[in-house]
Amino acid sequence: MNNGNEIEIEVKNLNFYYSGGVHALKGISLAVRRNSINAFIGPSGCGKTTLLRCFNRMHDLYPGNRYEGEIIFQGRNILGGDIDLIDLRSRVGMVFQKPTPFPMSIFENVAYGLRLRGIKKRADLSERVERALHHSALWDEVKDKLNESAYRLSGGQQQRLVIARALAVEPEVLLFDEPTSALDPISTAKIEELVVELKKAVTIIIVTHNMQQAARVSDTSGFFMLGELIEIDSTDRIFTTPSNKLTEDYITGRFG
Amino acid sequence: MTRMRSRKLQSAIALTLSGMAALFGLFWLGFILWDVLKHGTAAVNWALFTEDPVPPGTEGGGLRNAFVGQLMITGTATLIGVPMGVLGGTFLAEYARGRAISRFISILADIMVSVPSIVIGTFVYAVMVKPVKHFSGWAGAVALAMIMIPVVMRTTEDMLSLVPWRLREAAFALGAPYYKVIVQVVYRQASVGVFTGILLSIARVAGETAPLLFTSFNNAFFATDMGKPIASLTVTVFQYATGPFDEWKAQAWAASLVITIFILAITIIGRGIIRWKYGNK
Repeated sequence: MNNGNEIEIEVKNLNFYYSGGVHALKGISLAVRRNSINAFIGPSGCGKTTLLRCFNRMHDLYPGNRYEGEIIFQGRNILGGDIDLIDLRSRVGMVFQKPTPFPMSIFENVAYGLRLRGIKKRADLSERVERALHHSALWDEVKDKLNESAYRLSGGQQQRLVIARALAVEPEVLLFDEPTSALDPISTAKIEELVVELKKAVTIIIVTHNMQQAARVSDTSGFFMLGELIEIDSTDRIFTTPSNKLTEDYITGRFG
Repeated sequence: MTRMRSRKLQSAIALTLSGMAALFGLFWLGFILWDVLKHGTAAVNWALFTEDPVPPGTEGGGLRNAFVGQLMITGTATLIGVPMGVLGGTFLAEYARGRAISRFISILADIMVSVPSIVIGTFVYAVMVKPVKHFSGWAGAVALAMIMIPVVMRTTEDMLSLVPWRLREAAFALGAPYYKVIVQVVYRQASVGVFTGILLSIARVAGETAPLLFTSFNNAFFATDMGKPIASLTVTVFQYATGPFDEWKAQAWAASLVITIFILAITIIGRGIIRWKYGNK
């Protein structure tokens, strides 16, 4: 299993406090290997989404939140004060629970992140937009209507559009926050296929409530409870012979 | 059985009373519109828009000065009021979202909306007219802008607050700074609502007379100098309708009709946009 892959992200003794003092993450340490799919599972309020949002410093949007500890990404602690958030967020993309297309055309949606980075030439934009849409398996469905509003796409298509938008800036890591919880089973299957496919290019961290989904797509699974990482191991191991009783109870559906 | 009957009776009484109240209100509305239409159409002619007033007792003449003045005052008020209102609303909904200062300013704006417009006129008179000792178009425009600002600000705040927060987070997650998130994503999403609010605020001030009475005052001659007294339709209607000449009265009716149609059109366009955008609510 561990065929010597490089570590992409290393979390060292991370504590996180929401404004008001809620201690949401308690002493988390884990490593994420490059080009792997890592699922975070656990009951609601266990901290898995909170941890996900540390990787692109989303918590910085709200005053009073506080990190302690380190997250090492590309040799630097991204929790440090000297980190350029715009740069970090182009390396670490994020896809949300509900599709979040912007009120603009399909083309402009995918080009948004590119324009933010100062790419203006139409030819460059077109090329990279097309590549991203191919990459997210949406090109064939939208190639004839790139100038139509993104809101005219179905929910599953919108989610793949949002993935294309994140991919367009060529990130190293993609964070998925329950990306299929608002989608129908067919769209869900497409997204899952896509996630597995994307592993070749990016490192993936996915938060999911759906344990079958974690079992289907991920290489590594981490089980969280009450802000603590109970256990993290290969997905096979977690779902067959977990070493912790709590993990076993959770995945066999005894609580959660 | 008797209980059923008494309930039906109560229902019938309530229905009759509320129906009558509605009819009573609608009757006067219809009466006013009809009266304006009847007297106004009789006096509207091409000269009304192309000629300036002539001395009382003389035939002909128009209100070109008042139309131009009205457009200049309302236009300037829009140029002052809309940017301030939109930026203020943006501050309330975005930068100060959820903070005490935001709620405080919102409440103040709501109070401002219900302040009688003549009070605003008096205020501007004290600040902009009295010190320079003469009326001016600028003062009138500022008075109208002061009425517009809280209206535009509150609509903008409401419309921006309706934009789902996750849309902003998605833009942040791509590395966008906050001002770009607001301008490129939030404004775009809320554009129709904000635009409608602006239209309705223009309709609101276009019919105001009180704040212009002691600010831009009136001018019987054609003038485009905003630093001097300038004519407006509403003040002209006030002056002509209360004046002693029949020609004046006829022109007052005509001007009333034009203002009414203008405001009605803006309001209907605004409502139409809301209905088109947000469905049949």
